[in-house]
Amino acid sequence: MNRHLLPEEIDQLLDGEVGFGTTPLKQHVRTCDECRAELDSARALVSRLEQLPHFTLSPDFSEDVMQRVHVYVPWHAALASMVRSFIPQQRRWRAAAWAGVVALASLMLVASLWAVTRLDAVLFVVELAYDRAREAGAWALSNTVTALFGSTAAQALDASGAAGVALALVAVLLTALLAVGALRVVVAGARHR
Amino acid sequence: MPLSLELSNLPDADVAALARGGREAAFRELVKRYERPVFSLIYRMVRDRELAEDLAQDTFVKVLNHIDRYRPEFKFSSWLFKIANNLTIDYLRKRRLDTVSMDGSPHAATAAEKEATSFDVSARGESPLDEIESRELGGAIEEAIAKLRPEYRACILLRHVEDKSYEEIAATLDLPLGTVKTYIHRARHELRDALGHLKS
Repeated sequence: MNRHLLPEEIDQLLDGEVGFGTTPLKQHVRTCDECRAELDSARALVSRLEQLPHFTLSPDFSEDVMQRVHVYVPWHAALASMVRSFIPQQRRWRAAAWAGVVALASLMLVASLWAVTRLDAVLFVVELAYDRAREAGAWALSNTVTALFGSTAAQALDASGAAGVALALVAVLLTALLAVGALRVVVAGARHR
Repeated sequence: MPLSLELSNLPDADVAALARGGREAAFRELVKRYERPVFSLIYRMVRDRELAEDLAQDTFVKVLNHIDRYRPEFKFSSWLFKIANNLTIDYLRKRRLDTVSMDGSPHAATAAEKEATSFDVSARGESPLDEIESRELGGAIEEAIAKLRPEYRACILLRHVEDKSYEEIAATLDLPLGTVKTYIHRARHELRDALGHLKS
């Protein structure tokens, strides 16, 4: 090469580009004092730039940021985190907890096997429990309706049978859903303000 | 093992994914990793400590509140620096702070305009913050960087202080690769001219 390096060729060497194209440039720098001085000067500048420090912020910076960040935790992440919080940190306690879980699972397995062999008794108990729960539910519902709408409404509900009860439950659920929806709209509006 | 220690070993994309899952510790880890580089870049762009902290805070708040928009195929740091740079450039444009070069705006056409946009150090107050700033940014190289155009400044700082590749800088600043190379070349040239004593 019988000319001095172009500025972009100095940049190429500065950026450490390798390959066929840079070989003649490197050879030229070895023999040309002027281009070597130019490259050394550029390298000195880059070295000074690379030594520039990162500045330190005020100690509250991170907290100030976090106060303005809305951390949205999805339900599954919250559930996983709650489960993790129950797992002991120390190895021996973790082992003891696992032993407890295994013992409980074994007990439940034995109980299930026993229930299978005594299926008639289990069915009788389940049926009994169901009847009691149904009676208690009907009593509670009747009392609630009487308290809220009077005895006439309670009698009408009794007379309408299961269909009436189902209808009343659907109405209650719909009202609850509407209330939750309205609350969410109010909260979202407040957040945007 | 505590969660913070586990997080410090993870790559950015994994920490960002945990932050998307609502893990507060992951948010804190991202702030911890990048608060100093982001602040340093902005501080060297605006040369005002308090303002730089505000802009750095805005950057993190914007990034973390929209972490669901982060696309893992890109480097997290590029996305973060892009937002930091955009906020800073927007601020400089609004307040015309790019004229706060010690010798006046590079765009000034007349001597009067140059005078009007020049920055007189002695006219500043002597608050402790000013003292810190003048100590931190008072070096010859810092002053030479301050005289660069903001676009050159961003490019040269990302290249040599943050050690980003040309491609990453192009993605960060939304500039064509050729433009980034030109800006860095010109910035180096201007810095070498300003720091003539480096030539040995």
